[in-house]
Amino acid sequence: MSDFEQTAAEARSLIAQAPHAAELERLRIHYLGARGVLVPPDFSQLAPDERQAAGRAYNLAKRSLQESLAGRLDELRRRRLADLADSERIDVTLPGQPPRLGRLHVLTVVQREIETIMERMGYQVEIGPEVETDWYNFEALNLPRGHASRDMQETFFLNRSETLVLRTHTSPMQIRTMLKHGEPPIYAAMPGRVYRQEATDASHLAQFMQVEALAVDVGITVGDLKGTVQYFSQSLWDEERRVRFRPSYFPYTEPSFEFDVSCLVCGGRGCRSCGGDGWLEAGGCGMVHPAVLRNGNIDPERYSGFAWGFGIERIAMLKYGVEDLRLFYENDHRFLEQF
Amino acid sequence: MRVSFQWLSELAGIEDLTPQEAAQTLTMAGWTVEELRLIDLSQIRVGRIISQEPHPASKKPLWVHMVDLGDEQRQIVAGAANAVVGSLVPVALPGTTVPSGVKVRDANIAGFEARGMLCSQAELELSDEHDGIMLLDSGEPGQPLSAIVPSDAILEVEVTPNRPDCLCHLGLARELAAARGRRLKHDFMPLFTGGIEPPGTDLVSIAIEDPRFCRRYIGAVVSDIRVGPSPQWLQRRLRAVGVRPISNVVDITNYVALEYGQPLHAFDLDRLGARRIGVREAREGEHLLCLDGQDRQLGPDSFVITDGDQPVALAGLIGGAETAVQVGTTQILLEAANFEGIAVRGMSRRLKLRTEASVRLEKNISPELALAGARRAAGLLQEVCGAKVHTSWAEAYPRPQEPVPVRFRPERIDAILGLHVPLEEMEAILDRLGFQVRVETEGEWYVLPPVFRLDVTSVQDVAEEVGRIYGYDNVPATLPGRRRSSWRAATPSVERRLDPCRQALAGAGFDEVVTPALVAAEMLRRLGLDGRALRMVNPLSDDQDTLRTSLLPSLLKVAQLQQKHGRQASRLFEIGRAYLRSRGDSEEPEEQPDEPQLLGVLSTGHEGADAARKAFYELKGGLERAVNALAPARLRFERAEDRLYHPGRTARILSGREAIGCIGELHPTTSQAFGLPGRAVAAQLEIAPLLELDSTRKVKALPRYPAVTRDLAVVVPLDLEAATLAGAIRSKGGELLTDAAAFDDYRGSQVTEGRKSVAFALTFRSPERTLTDEEVDSRLEQIRATLSKRFEASFRD
Repeated sequence: MSDFEQTAAEARSLIAQAPHAAELERLRIHYLGARGVLVPPDFSQLAPDERQAAGRAYNLAKRSLQESLAGRLDELRRRRLADLADSERIDVTLPGQPPRLGRLHVLTVVQREIETIMERMGYQVEIGPEVETDWYNFEALNLPRGHASRDMQETFFLNRSETLVLRTHTSPMQIRTMLKHGEPPIYAAMPGRVYRQEATDASHLAQFMQVEALAVDVGITVGDLKGTVQYFSQSLWDEERRVRFRPSYFPYTEPSFEFDVSCLVCGGRGCRSCGGDGWLEAGGCGMVHPAVLRNGNIDPERYSGFAWGFGIERIAMLKYGVEDLRLFYENDHRFLEQF
Repeated sequence: MRVSFQWLSELAGIEDLTPQEAAQTLTMAGWTVEELRLIDLSQIRVGRIISQEPHPASKKPLWVHMVDLGDEQRQIVAGAANAVVGSLVPVALPGTTVPSGVKVRDANIAGFEARGMLCSQAELELSDEHDGIMLLDSGEPGQPLSAIVPSDAILEVEVTPNRPDCLCHLGLARELAAARGRRLKHDFMPLFTGGIEPPGTDLVSIAIEDPRFCRRYIGAVVSDIRVGPSPQWLQRRLRAVGVRPISNVVDITNYVALEYGQPLHAFDLDRLGARRIGVREAREGEHLLCLDGQDRQLGPDSFVITDGDQPVALAGLIGGAETAVQVGTTQILLEAANFEGIAVRGMSRRLKLRTEASVRLEKNISPELALAGARRAAGLLQEVCGAKVHTSWAEAYPRPQEPVPVRFRPERIDAILGLHVPLEEMEAILDRLGFQVRVETEGEWYVLPPVFRLDVTSVQDVAEEVGRIYGYDNVPATLPGRRRSSWRAATPSVERRLDPCRQALAGAGFDEVVTPALVAAEMLRRLGLDGRALRMVNPLSDDQDTLRTSLLPSLLKVAQLQQKHGRQASRLFEIGRAYLRSRGDSEEPEEQPDEPQLLGVLSTGHEGADAARKAFYELKGGLERAVNALAPARLRFERAEDRLYHPGRTARILSGREAIGCIGELHPTTSQAFGLPGRAVAAQLEIAPLLELDSTRKVKALPRYPAVTRDLAVVVPLDLEAATLAGAIRSKGGELLTDAAAFDDYRGSQVTEGRKSVAFALTFRSPERTLTDEEVDSRLEQIRATLSKRFEASFRD
């Protein structure tokens, strides 16, 4: 056995026992490094006939070392991969650590959801002033001064002459939209804040959000209004939703209705949350009054229209089971964090 | 309006309906029944008191009764003594539940068996009277009480303000009958009268000063009256709908108002000295002691009924005390009048007095009802009080109500409803509601509404009548829309355009809030934000009497609330409006205000100056990111001052040359005003200028050659700002310098006192070739030279 062979055997047994890659690297440098143990034979010291054999022995030893280094490295890698389950096990049931993200307010989310459905139906979102003139908020909507119907909407006034009011509904936007667009067809969705001079409690706020939709076109009927409200309700809730029209009165529509949707809890059979009759009050609607069309500069002989609206908070309350309206505007983080 | 089902069904001729069926029918015809209370008296029995002894042992006064129930006798203990031997009383036996909800059980009261309960009117829900046992004036022991007092149901019906004709039983009965396909048995209503023939009487005269206010006044003289209690049936009906019986004359006026909807008033004729009735404006300084015991100060904004010149009643509201009917009254003047609604409503609001009369008159009922009501009352006075009604009545009816026919082709109704209603069906519906229909030439309809329907003037109104009785459930649901050759392109709403901005802020850890726009004027004043504030004339309370002028206080209040509930550091934003009085306006505004939409951001709970400094830059970065989500534009920041903000840590925000907002650490006094511990940083800016920015993004080609980067630490005086240095670096760096961003601001032992070191990361790049180190270094040298010269800068390695 040559010296080379002996050195290689000794090295191979060390390599075979090396516990990790770092030790292998240390052994590589020890044996094969520039100043390593295994160095090429000094040919000048050898007889010409020994040179070839020595060269071959050296190459053989070197290659065998390289091979066992690579083999051992591969073996260690395979063993480590096989060991991962134990060596790097973590407790996957510990709580996740979310990045610090904020949230959109639930009213924004619900309002956008409503707008999205309306936009999908071809309605254009329009916004307008919250401080309105008496004309837009009342007169133009067939609510003359002193009229008892104004009692339906307790009003905040901003001057003593009562010409400036906080709008009591989004309906002044009906007039503004008609005047802005001129010739029908007009399909508009009008969300925004409205104000009522009413004491605040769990189901009343002095300020809240409404959204109202207006359609003015040729040949619009009560049937179209019914279909539209139904389409919307089914899109917002689900396809099972049915809509019921109860005749009612608003000065700016004729005929007028309250619309109910079949109860979201019991589906219409009657339960506690719908008061037993299977229906939930959802909003008001009607065919735009001819006087209102005229105030919007639209000829009621050529065109007809409908308007329907409801409270955004009410939808959010039904959707998320919120029982106190005030929570929406208090912004307690313990409330906001639930969305 | 409170309705007795029993009264209603008698008028409507619908005895075969249950109260629940009637309620459902009314609701679907437009009369929402908000509440239905059943008063079932069939389980209660009539008993006769055989004996009554005081309870010997009880400390409370109790009475032991022996009661005859026909087939048996029972011992019953009661707390009231008013049922004496021989009295007929309602008895609830053990096991029954009385209408008020009490369940009756066998009991032992202080040693005495009690096997039933003697009922008060309140326990039977027949009135609010709960003192004493109800005494019956007829009945046989053992009979069900319902044989004597009919079972009833009370309906709370919502009557919309356009239909004052239905603020009475007759009106709702007509609706109920029509909706069930029937006509009223007796309609009681006259056709148009145009006045009584012959008008006038020698007993009383009537003069109206303002025919626009008093549209009709009927005065009927009724004599030979004996004032006393009303019969049981009348008292029962009044009680059922919550009206306390007073005396037969007063009860009849109330009864007719509840039946016909026409308010009536009775004067004691002998107390009308002059017997000249007038209707005029009250004069300054006049006052009237009213029936309710209140002495009211009047003025020219009120109308009074006068006798001679003396006010005797407030027109349309309430009678005077001095001319009221009382025990001993023998003849009366029965008033059936009609006053203009807006004026009545105004008086009612000013005097803060709502009466059964005012709630009807303020909605403009038909003056034709006055005669019908007066006739009905006169008939009842004859029947109930044995009175003599004089045939010639005094009347003033200056402008008799004109019929208002509606003409239309019946197809119009179908076109409005989106449904074909057969013509005969349409006609039958209108007929049941009291309309007269005449088919004219070429198929046009002439429809005359009944006298009491002042609300029907157009084909739309008629369509509503047809629709609600025909049933809207029958209208098929359709979607509008037709083939069209012109349209308007859809554009996203402002709110939707702002959503990326909201998302960016949420992504940066800020919670969106939505806060009330109504705030306290006092708070705005303390913060100096009240300059252009709009205050309400009629606020609900001091803490919400003004429209907000800034989002900051709203955000601070939320942080305060969150802090109170355990959150130490709040990160909040809101996109909402402020309301600023128009610049030309005084304290009493005339014009619509500015309503700028604002973005407000607040971050609280930072301990110490360093943390707040870091928070400032985070907020600034978050804000820039949010604005960038709207448009690829750069905001500029300039040092500024604002009394709400820290004097050394505040910047004005500019978009182009326009100042659009403010960012900074809040002044310690601002945070303290909201009780917030720690420091807070905040920003507020206007949205509108951001929406005007060009939002188009053009992508640049990716660089083909590598960049060379160099850090440069510039040591300069403390008051020199990074933006100034960056400007100088950029202008000297030329085209090859593609970025120069300050990333560190160091002050401390490594630099001289009074100076700071600002570190910039410079990026050089050519679009055409790879830059050499030498090239970059020489450019850097030029930059250093400029900075040294202009700012006496030195440099750190």
